[in-house]
Amino acid sequence: MARLGFDERELQSRRAIFELHDEDLQRLTAIRAIAERHMAEVVDGFYALLLGHPGTRRFLTDDAQVARLKRTQSAYFLQLFDGRCDLPYVENRIRVGAVHERIGLAPKWYIAAYRRYLALLLERVVLDIPDRAEALAAYQSLKKIVAFDMSIAIDTYIAANLESLGRHQAAIRELSTPVIRVHERLLLLPLVGAIDSQRAQQVMEMVLVRVIEEKARAIIIDIAGVPVVDTKVADHLLKTTAAVKLIGAQTILTGISAQVARTIVQLGVDISSMHTLARLSEGIELGLELVGKRIAPKEPS
Amino acid sequence: MSRKGPIPILRVGNVLLTTIHIDLQDTIAAAFQEDVLTEIEKTGAHGIVVDISGLDEVDTHVARILAETGAMARLMGTRAVLVGMRPEVAATLVRMGYAMGAIETALDVDDGLRLLGGRPKG
Repeated sequence: MARLGFDERELQSRRAIFELHDEDLQRLTAIRAIAERHMAEVVDGFYALLLGHPGTRRFLTDDAQVARLKRTQSAYFLQLFDGRCDLPYVENRIRVGAVHERIGLAPKWYIAAYRRYLALLLERVVLDIPDRAEALAAYQSLKKIVAFDMSIAIDTYIAANLESLGRHQAAIRELSTPVIRVHERLLLLPLVGAIDSQRAQQVMEMVLVRVIEEKARAIIIDIAGVPVVDTKVADHLLKTTAAVKLIGAQTILTGISAQVARTIVQLGVDISSMHTLARLSEGIELGLELVGKRIAPKEPS
Repeated sequence: MSRKGPIPILRVGNVLLTTIHIDLQDTIAAAFQEDVLTEIEKTGAHGIVVDISGLDEVDTHVARILAETGAMARLMGTRAVLVGMRPEVAATLVRMGYAMGAIETALDVDDGLRLLGGRPKG
């Protein structure tokens, strides 16, 4: 419910959108007795649709399960005539939507099932109401509450999808700034792929945090895997370098190809504040020098 | 001790050490700058380490005071090293386009002292 941002205000506003007024709820309560009489037919007719199609039949594995679902469905059916449309009601609907989302039932089934549901309600329940005007009004009210329910179910699907999208984005974010410890107080960040403003921002934050964590003297940023280095990217790198300097460390930029060197100079970007080198191996040598170490050949034994 | 501001300045060997733990408002900032310069004059210290790890926020005003104080110290032949800036502070300053001029920086007090040769290399 929190995930959907559903509170009393949202409830009221949604009821207003669907024109689901208290009179509608009262009208539904008034025909509850008739509805109860036809409950079994509606539920059976509903499951006939689900069992008649391979797309939904695969979710209904055995008779015991179908019997159980029919009981749940009957409870759902009766709730439509309870005359209540409050937060607990919505919570119940969200739960139903979430269950269907989890088992992987596509929204088209949801909508198709609701269509059949309305048809059954019309045939079995509404036509059994003696007064014609009353029957028509009751049908309108039913349509409102069913559409209201459907909107909540679809929202649940969307929220679940957004959530998994968010998880994936977080994973990608993490993967896109892998700050590696090369040596004591020396870090390496190999950048791969395009750098936009959002990623540049995140690169800066990650670099700063890791430099502090590792008490790094220097961080090597290798841009060999960055396809395009334009003014913007260069500017981001300069900013990161400036920030790294402010917290007391140095930046070494490596992986600068001839193409990138040409671009940077032609664009007139001044990157003289950075240590820049063509190859990562040279960057590591310089970095080690900055932390007071050096790579030396092994003594012949 | 004729200190004017509330921020203490310690002497460690031939180096001064000060930790800024409170917001540098106008009067405090002015007093701090004067205290630093007076102390340099008095002691002839060859370096000063300014620790700002206690500051959650550094606006451009404070940053300018720190950079200026560093520049003034340098004119008097004293190297100033700014240490302990928090990542979010650095990111904000850079985003605002303020890179604090040419002031020297180090990760923490330890590194700052080492940079000034106040400590054995390690």
